[in-house]
Amino acid sequence: MSSSTPLVCGFARLTSCSGCQLTLLNMTADLVPLAARLSVVAFSMASSAPDPGGALDVAVIEGSVSSPAQLSTLLALRRRADRLVAVGACALSGGVNALASGDRDALVASVYGAPEAVEESFPPQPLSRFVQVDLEIPGCPPEGAELVALFGSLARGGLPAASDYPVCMECRQRENLCLLIERRIPCLGPVIRAGCQARCPSFGVACEGCRGMVAEANRGEEFRLLLETGLNEREIRARLRRFGEEA
Amino acid sequence: MSVLHLTPLTRVEGHGRVDLVLEAGKLVDVRLALEESPRLFEALLVGRHCREVPALVCRICAICSAVHRVAAAMALEAAMGIAIPPLARGIRELLLLGGHIESHALHLFCLILPDLTGHASLLDLARAGHPLAAAGLELKAFGNRIQALAGGRPIHPVNVEIGGVLSTPDPGALAALAEESRARQAELETLLGIFCREENYPAHAAAIGTRMAVAAPGPLPLWGEELVLGDGRRVAAAACRELFAEVVVGYSHAKQSGSRQHPLLTGALAREEMAGDEAMAGFGIHGNNVAQVQELGKALARVAALAQELAGAKPGEVTLADWQADAGIGTALCEAPRGLLLHHYVVDDFGRIAKVDIVTPTAINQAALEAQLLADLQGVSDEAVLLERAGRIVRAYDPCISCAVHLLKVV
Repeated sequence: MSSSTPLVCGFARLTSCSGCQLTLLNMTADLVPLAARLSVVAFSMASSAPDPGGALDVAVIEGSVSSPAQLSTLLALRRRADRLVAVGACALSGGVNALASGDRDALVASVYGAPEAVEESFPPQPLSRFVQVDLEIPGCPPEGAELVALFGSLARGGLPAASDYPVCMECRQRENLCLLIERRIPCLGPVIRAGCQARCPSFGVACEGCRGMVAEANRGEEFRLLLETGLNEREIRARLRRFGEEA
Repeated sequence: MSVLHLTPLTRVEGHGRVDLVLEAGKLVDVRLALEESPRLFEALLVGRHCREVPALVCRICAICSAVHRVAAAMALEAAMGIAIPPLARGIRELLLLGGHIESHALHLFCLILPDLTGHASLLDLARAGHPLAAAGLELKAFGNRIQALAGGRPIHPVNVEIGGVLSTPDPGALAALAEESRARQAELETLLGIFCREENYPAHAAAIGTRMAVAAPGPLPLWGEELVLGDGRRVAAAACRELFAEVVVGYSHAKQSGSRQHPLLTGALAREEMAGDEAMAGFGIHGNNVAQVQELGKALARVAALAQELAGAKPGEVTLADWQADAGIGTALCEAPRGLLLHHYVVDDFGRIAKVDIVTPTAINQAALEAQLLADLQGVSDEAVLLERAGRIVRAYDPCISCAVHLLKVV
């Protein structure tokens, strides 16, 4: 497509906290130039204009799939969209919602009093279990700059570059003290996908792994280093799985 | 009998629907259905170590993530008898003030303003070059910058843990923040005047519900040991869960507090009325928007004073208490932007979570919201007008449906 026709896009949300949509709305300075390049036909959090249906250049989807109704929404968007982008930990790996695993009826009953109190639901699943995902933007929440770059690349007919190296690369570039080696704080930086400019370690806080595992992560060595920080095996496994599957 | 469905609710956080039940063209019943998929936070926390809780519960909701994280830390500190350093308390307060500013600005400019100007969205307003669009987003961005400075990032801030906070913001950045907050106070009037004109809102009944707010000193209390109600009752934090005694309603995924006969009202309107402010009298529930305007002023003033004070902290001053996991029961009351938030935890001997109860403002307001729809829409028979007005009434409450549908155990 040429850069003069606006990119037709929809932003949908399934089972999540709205953080990915809010991240986009937080990119204050970029919203006005973005609005000029996009034709947003579905974004119920921000707009009361009804979705007219029809083809989409891109469907951006936040959240995991946890009900038949959401699955229908996802399949319909996949059929309409030239490209489908999964945004955020919930869409990529289930997110913290996926920690509610086990007997669904028992879990619902423990919260509601009766399993039939809510419509049919199932354990939260990543989008890729059901449809082809053309692009992933990780994070909980994702970085605003990544979302803006996503729309910018798509509007020019391309896709943004993905980071295939760990958070430590960016952390070292920022010349931070290593929390894991030098302060024995349980940081997941060595095995987690970069792209956040080592946001949390730069603030003095351990990486909690919200962007998911980097390709070919050395899990064994990370496990050993985490044991040295004083966590036990159970705690380490819980940390590595905080955002759903060890993706 | 016919039922009109307002679906989806737009320009609110989350997925919801309003059913308007008509008999012979007359509105006889209203149902608010919060349709978020259940995320079972209370169930997924059980058995996990209490250290994990603050990072997990903030994911209940993006807009309210800071206050969930602080409320969880406070409740767990109460459960285990942990006293946090004063500097940590100040940094937490700054974080929550940033959350208030961001959330109120988001609500007023992104969600309410399009109703007042007749646009579908803020994006349309921005395209049309409306002067308030850019200025409103600026104010919202300022709230986010405060949260980033005090919490590490605006959504799901990482700085708050049990025992205090992990990191002290840079004194230079704090001093600059104080100065900017003072400057922004001066421009509030021109920015927010549009929300305080009665002619901008539809006809309405008086706002329904027994008002309640956290009882604590200061112009904008953000947490406290007890609640004070409009009927004069004072309720200690530990007894609040009984007050809210929630019931599952068959058509909504959030439980309601209070009944149709005795609804409770929480949020900016309730806080400001309880503090004796009259500016929003005569606006009905739309006065909640006016109350948010008042609170923005108070929050900017407090940020200016607090950031200046925090900038003077001694280098190396402690922000995190040493603590050991211990069995106990704790409850915390915070004022989220949308109203009262309660977190309650039972911790076992291993420091693991045995029981969780979280009550959110939108769940508390549900009964009042339904009653208000019924009262405000009496005598309206045109279906298009009914739907449009119903949408505006729901929006006035600034509901946060993700929060409401975390689902509670039946007490």
